Amino acid sequence: MIEKTDISKEDLLNAYRNIVMERFLDKKMLNASKQGFLPFYIPLMGHEAIHIGIGLAIRNTDFFYPYYRDFGAIIERGIPLDMALSQVFATEDDNALGRSMPNHFSFKKYNIGAVITTVAGHLTAATGIAYAYKYRKKEGSIITTFGDGATSTPDFHVAMNFAGVYNLPMVFFCENNQFAISVPTYPAENGAFDQTYMETRGDIYKKAEAYGFKGIRIDGTDFVEVYRQTRKALENAKNGPILIEAMSYRMGPHSTADDPNKYRTNTVPEGSAKDPLIASQKALKDMDILDDSMIKSINDEMDRKTTELVNKYEREPKPDKHTMLDNLYEEEPWYISEERGDVQ
Amino acid sequence: MTMVKALNSALDNAMERDDSVILLGEDVGTDGGVFRVTDGLLNKYGKERVIDTPLAELGIMGFGIGMAMEGLKAIPEIQFQDFLYTGMDQIINQMAKLRYRTNGDYTVPMVLRTPYAGGVHGGPYHSQSGEVYFTHTQGLTVVTPSTPYDAKGLLLSSIELNDPVIFLEPKRSYFIKGEVPEDYYKIDLRKANVLKEGDDLTVITYGPSVPLVQNTVKKNNVNAEIIDLRTLNPFDINTILTSVKKTGRVLIVHEAPKMFGVGAELAATIAEKAIDYLSAPILRVTGLDIPVPFALEDYYVPNERRIMEAVNKLLNYQ
Ligand SMILES: Cc1ncc(C[n+]2csc(CCOP(=O)(O)OP(=O)(O)O)c2C)c(N)n1
Ligand SMILES: [Mg+2]
Repeated sequence: MIEKTDISKEDLLNAYRNIVMERFLDKKMLNASKQGFLPFYIPLMGHEAIHIGIGLAIRNTDFFYPYYRDFGAIIERGIPLDMALSQVFATEDDNALGRSMPNHFSFKKYNIGAVITTVAGHLTAATGIAYAYKYRKKEGSIITTFGDGATSTPDFHVAMNFAGVYNLPMVFFCENNQFAISVPTYPAENGAFDQTYMETRGDIYKKAEAYGFKGIRIDGTDFVEVYRQTRKALENAKNGPILIEAMSYRMGPHSTADDPNKYRTNTVPEGSAKDPLIASQKALKDMDILDDSMIKSINDEMDRKTTELVNKYEREPKPDKHTMLDNLYEEEPWYISEERGDVQ
Repeated sequence: MTMVKALNSALDNAMERDDSVILLGEDVGTDGGVFRVTDGLLNKYGKERVIDTPLAELGIMGFGIGMAMEGLKAIPEIQFQDFLYTGMDQIINQMAKLRYRTNGDYTVPMVLRTPYAGGVHGGPYHSQSGEVYFTHTQGLTVVTPSTPYDAKGLLLSSIELNDPVIFLEPKRSYFIKGEVPEDYYKIDLRKANVLKEGDDLTVITYGPSVPLVQNTVKKNNVNAEIIDLRTLNPFDINTILTSVKKTGRVLIVHEAPKMFGVGAELAATIAEKAIDYLSAPILRVTGLDIPVPFALEDYYVPNERRIMEAVNKLLNYQ
């Protein structure tokens, strides 16, 4: 069982620092996209407590298969910032040579799966990874994250069913930010203009029961709660899967390609009590880990640091165009060799 | 032994050598697969390695891909190629692209086996020849055997490959017999097989159409060179061009429909690289451009009459 003492004050403070860093980085990356340095960007605001909570809960032996909105979780899990930002800015140092959109990480040596753009396209693969863990009797469990909209896909239901049938060591973690682009998940009280369309009429966490295992709903704005529940779930997953639905709110647009004012009024403005940054400050103040002067100095530090980072990565060179045809197959086919002549 | 037995023998050899080889699919366990390709393997290797799955092609595909990402060698069976489309997203967007989009951080060394094409009067949903859906997906290796010997050797080579393979088994040839060694052996996946040498024309074919072409050529004493592609993508361009430059006349035979088919790619490539050697237009004899009809399947597939009409047209072309 996880006790309060399981997590030190130092860990909590570091986690808070990462929440602040994620918030600043998010704003600056969004800004970079407005200035044309990033052709596309997926904002993070509203997800920070979930990201940092699960990142804190994942151990080196666990396998994490994330989706495209999990930047902070990757950082909290321990991926060097340089590696993550090279991916986001598609620089020549990106381990995948800038082949995917921002936030599509793939870090096999850290037990992190390759993020796929297709919503829920990774969930069935996560079950296969879990099967391999079980077959090889490997230490650790599998955690995979996804949005609320993802729970409408066939992939979600098939993956949940397989996990139940083979009793896989898995945590299905739904980051319910209450919207799939413009379509509300459960319309009530999330500010959606149209309350007749929705992702589902049934509670997401209850869907686990139909597949033979437990589902729980937690507060996704409280990173300590997210950490505790996720850690517990990862440890208990050896006895079978679990579904966690973490409730939060997507405070920004879905991506740089939409304007939320068209389909909703924001019910969680920045700085309000349900903003995960504010909720985290309050929680740590209540535990006497944080005070106002620390909040200010951490803000100043992260503001400076993230400005420097984004300025640097905006200007890093892109991958050499000749790498573009590499690594389609282990052995290059004759027609790819011919097409090398087309890249000048 | 039959092609079914040859495939079974290949799986048996591979599983014996390497405990990372895992079979999965609908009815592959106790039932041994609806065509019996996995017969007896559950008893020999146990439930952890021969897995009966819920009825969901999407799940079977993703399950196998995940295993492959974690170092196992998954060999899923999709009961009929016609039903694989419900898992097609996993093939196109995950299996085929993982190596490329991660620049090799992850690979998917997995072999997806599935029976395809006609021969059992299965109507529109047990007879499809969907090979172009896979050949037109970058990153896949698409293999199709024509004999029991090739079936075993090509399957073992596919299992050793570090990339995903779509292994299309011509169900009309499942019960043809041939010599097959019990031991482990491999066949080069990047080389076509010249089944018969000849001077007057080149017939390029593969999988389910190979026996028909061989019988037709033999019965009618045609001095044709017959090439069995074995691998559709990447196909063996050198063997094709060498033969075409010798004969100057080309016939392509496949059971899949003609429009936008494998034949179109072969013909275009030959025209691009060897048009100066051709003495006649490139012709195709293929399945008709309709879904496979239940009662009239025999009129749908290529036959001796249509092949000979094309052969004579090519030989008489001035
Ligand atoms: C299969 C699929 N359909 C549509 C899209 C386009 N799309 C990208 S994200 C998205 C909404 C996903 O919502 P949700 O699962 O709640 O995750 P969120 O983006 O809110 O974190 C859509 C429709 C896609 N990427 N994949
Ligand atoms: Mg959402």
